[in-house]
Amino acid sequence: MLEFVRRNRIILTSGFLLLFSLLLVSTSVRAPRRRDPLTALLLEAMRPLQVGVSDAGSALTAVWNNYVELVGVRAENEALRARARELEQHANRLGEIEESNQHLKELLGFRSTLDGQTVNAQISGRDPGALFQSLTIDKGERDGVRKGFAVLSPDGVVGQVVATSAHAARVLLVTDHNSGVDAVVQRSRARGIVAGALADGCVMKYLQRGEDVAVGDRVTTSGLDGIFPKGVLIGEVTKVSRNHRGLLQLAEVRPSASLERLEDVLVVAPGARVNEPANGDS
Amino acid sequence: MRTLLIFSAATIAALVLQTTVWHWLPLGGAIPDLLLILCVYLGLHQHTVGGALGAFFLGYAQDSFSGGAVGLNAFAMSLVFALVYLTSRRLWVDNAISKVVLVFLASVIKTMVVVGLIAIFLSTAGIWSTLARHLVIEAAVAAALSPPVFAMLASTRHITEAEDEA
Repeated sequence: MLEFVRRNRIILTSGFLLLFSLLLVSTSVRAPRRRDPLTALLLEAMRPLQVGVSDAGSALTAVWNNYVELVGVRAENEALRARARELEQHANRLGEIEESNQHLKELLGFRSTLDGQTVNAQISGRDPGALFQSLTIDKGERDGVRKGFAVLSPDGVVGQVVATSAHAARVLLVTDHNSGVDAVVQRSRARGIVAGALADGCVMKYLQRGEDVAVGDRVTTSGLDGIFPKGVLIGEVTKVSRNHRGLLQLAEVRPSASLERLEDVLVVAPGARVNEPANGDS
Repeated sequence: MRTLLIFSAATIAALVLQTTVWHWLPLGGAIPDLLLILCVYLGLHQHTVGGALGAFFLGYAQDSFSGGAVGLNAFAMSLVFALVYLTSRRLWVDNAISKVVLVFLASVIKTMVVVGLIAIFLSTAGIWSTLARHLVIEAAVAAALSPPVFAMLASTRHITEAEDEA
């Protein structure tokens, strides 16, 4: 028996780890809000590296773009080229600052429309796989960020905090297939749940068949899930599907926030309210 | 200890690349899975209990930064390790081409296993179109990246072998 265990110890260990993984998945699915100390430790340990690489990447991208723009200038214009490069870099820096300033102004403007605890955060990393849609932000529990907090941008809903460490947090995007937001169609007040559909955007489910929903309708948060403030824009209906025999209809929703280009977000505690129509809710 | 340090450093580097740099590349949303390449390397060269644990931890680390439930990638990586280990015991997979093919197949298996678990435990909205778009390209990019990654890891083998002998 001992000899059998010794000879097959690797396969037995793998078998044990496979069962343990299934147990982890099952536990994680049943109690998604349970705090996982190892995940928090990894998030915290990786944060400075992710922030450093993200910053270095932004700087390299700026230099690369600058280089590409300058390729093709003739040799006799060397002096002019050097000057142009210098000015280009300067303009690029100014552009970056202006862009960043614009983002922050928008975020600040949006923040002032919210009544409640809010935290500004920067994106420091994205999901390591294509089958899920999440991102990492540079603010964590020390900054007041907690699991279940809403994450918004001036353009609309971004997602929800699903894991935190002291100085970082992971955000499940509204386009992830595990995400769900209680929502209403702004024009007809038809209610449903907006769930993620990965690269296809989102879908609004559980809409009664008789409800008035049309392409171009804006979809906003209902505030009834206790996570997202009422009246924040989620997106716009791009297609409505009615099953012939079903009681429900389904609407495809294109998220209003540019989730691929986000740099700064606002983390909002449950219970926050929109003081004035931030992005269109009446 | 040296092996552990080398693989910890490789795991951190792979995670940083997968969560930042890969997203800037024009791969149409596909993310090359460096952690999987490390897992295949463990299955080929670390025929120890530590290798199996290492594969599990690679998946757990990926789960920690992923939107899915904890354990999905840990399960898939453990399975890939076991399959690569069994394959390498029965078949000769020591040349570059067979390793590239092995990484390609491992990537396809891992993705299918994760999707299978998602279908069982979570919601599958949008998963099939994403799978169709990324399955082959991700596997192909991972396979293409495997020779340099294997070469880098092989260059550290004399350090780990010295440790094994000691």
